[in-house]
Amino acid sequence: MRRNRVTEYATAAVLVAPFVAIFGWMFIYPTIQMVFLSFTNAPLIGNGVWVGFENYIRMFQDRIFWNAVWNTSYFVLLTVVPGTAIALAIALMVTRLKGRTQSLILAAFFLPYVLPITVVYLIWDWLTNFQFGLIQYVIEPIMGKRINIWRTIPWFMPSAAILTIWWTNGFSILLFLAGLRNIPRDLYEAAALDNASRWQMFRSITWPLLWPVTVLCLTIQLILQLKIFDQVYLFAQGGRTQATMVLVQYIYEQAFQKNSGGYAATISVALFVIVVIFSVLQYQVLRVRGEK
Amino acid sequence: MADIRLVDVSKAYGNVRVIDNVTMTIGSGEFWVFLGPSGCGKSTLLRMIAGLEDINDGEIHIGDRRVDQLPPAERGVAMVFQNYALYPHMTVRQNMAFGLQNIRTPKDEIERRVDSAAKILELGHLIDRRPSQLSGGQRQRVAIGRAIVRDPKAFLFDEPLSNLDAGLRVRTRIEFAQLHQRMKTTMVFVTHDQTEAMTLADKIVVMNNRKIEQIGSPMEIYTRPASRFVAAFVGSPSMNFLPVKAVADKAGKALVTLGDGSVVETAIPTANLPKGGTFTFGIRPEFVRIEANGAIKGKADVVERLGDRTLAYVRLGDGSTVIASDTGISSLDTGHEIALGVDGASAHLFDDNNVAYSAA
Repeated sequence: MRRNRVTEYATAAVLVAPFVAIFGWMFIYPTIQMVFLSFTNAPLIGNGVWVGFENYIRMFQDRIFWNAVWNTSYFVLLTVVPGTAIALAIALMVTRLKGRTQSLILAAFFLPYVLPITVVYLIWDWLTNFQFGLIQYVIEPIMGKRINIWRTIPWFMPSAAILTIWWTNGFSILLFLAGLRNIPRDLYEAAALDNASRWQMFRSITWPLLWPVTVLCLTIQLILQLKIFDQVYLFAQGGRTQATMVLVQYIYEQAFQKNSGGYAATISVALFVIVVIFSVLQYQVLRVRGEK
Repeated sequence: MADIRLVDVSKAYGNVRVIDNVTMTIGSGEFWVFLGPSGCGKSTLLRMIAGLEDINDGEIHIGDRRVDQLPPAERGVAMVFQNYALYPHMTVRQNMAFGLQNIRTPKDEIERRVDSAAKILELGHLIDRRPSQLSGGQRQRVAIGRAIVRDPKAFLFDEPLSNLDAGLRVRTRIEFAQLHQRMKTTMVFVTHDQTEAMTLADKIVVMNNRKIEQIGSPMEIYTRPASRFVAAFVGSPSMNFLPVKAVADKAGKALVTLGDGSVVETAIPTANLPKGGTFTFGIRPEFVRIEANGAIKGKADVVERLGDRTLAYVRLGDGSTVIASDTGISSLDTGHEIALGVDGASAHLFDDNNVAYSAA
């Protein structure tokens, strides 16, 4: 059954055209413009003069840039794997609940995810408040004194990481729950007859069959957390912002506060490259491992 | 090898009872088949023996141990699931070895048992494949292999043939029979297919609506059904049921007058029949023959030629339809007026409560 190929291609082209048009207009074109911009000394608005690799040379010598790279990496390290592990643990617990209880508990875990960052900021600002924050009652007996969390550099990133896991974990939990529900129940029954203990069931059935979901969660989290901005920006306000600077925050500062669009574009290109490399690398590495 | 005893076993999900007071003893080394329509509780009963479902009441014994409070693994049974439940990320070998690894069986022992099972089931060349690379029949065999390597006291099969195509189904059915002859282990097999039940079973348990209707050998079930349900469910085409006008006595045997006025002499002792009440007459199609001088007259509505025999759907004088059989090569045709002879010795009567009465 061979139909007219030209007609088929034409139909396909018409069907994908709206997507291609919007994708090209709103993503490809700005991306190319950004790369172009990174070779100029443009301000925030308006054109600049072509300066070649000057911005890139400056970036590689910029201490604050490297600090932002380090802070961002540190933040990713603190959130991606621990956050995914916690989401898996919570999903494993929630999946054992039934009916209304399950919905209620799941809703409780998912609730933070629907909050805007401003609300999250207020909640955690209160929780960690030096004077009356609830968390200080935990910190004080352990550390012997209260700690001004957002003004103490070693405490800043771990605290931002905990807050971020609390905030964004609901989505990973949902993904894991969906993955868990996809594992046929009779596999566990077969395993029960096969003398498998709870741990053996997890290790031999749940974990391998959930691996694709785990890879997906890790990748989504990695991309999301590499783009960290709001939390750090809000909590660092009024403090030594350079010490806790992350990449997107530095782009924002260069573009909107220092009016150097060209240099901000250069850092954006760097971040873009980092995100692409890490996510592709991670996805490939994890996928291959899962398929062995 | 062990017998399985169920004593007064009941189960309910909330207020919904799914098994009511089931008692049976499955002899050691016997092949039993639970037969019944969907939702009759046969799979639940099997899962209760396996330990995958709790029981609310009663006792289950396997061999000389009471097992109803033990977890599945400690009951010493192996089960083959309807969808095989093979571990999709493991190879055939790993699937079969998993249960033995969990109880820390020595490596060479595992290898010996897996290889021997693979040889019995002709899985040798597939041993390093994953389930997704196997056909339905091959997966089926791996599932059986996984059961065999555990050397269980009893095998439980939950509709294992239902996912195979017709041809493979017949072949696999024969393999099941051969497997039982070779292993001589107690086997319990759940199915809704009466052919599977009839061909495989030492004993058939016919179940309907959470209860056991009858337990018996295939021929007992076929020739002496205990209830109208069993009579109707087993046999293809199904038994004929005809309204009865009157039941008289002739030398201690029931003399039945059918709806169209014809009289059939049966071998059913009248002493067994309840007094009063109405009856239904039951006769299998193969005992209704087309005879030139038969007592019952009718017209052939539909004629089905099956090759080895011919079935005629005959409308009688009172409007009821009876399925009659004739030889494979038959001159019978639709619309023919024909006469039927009934083998009264093979007839059954059913009372108002659907209890069956057969010849002594």
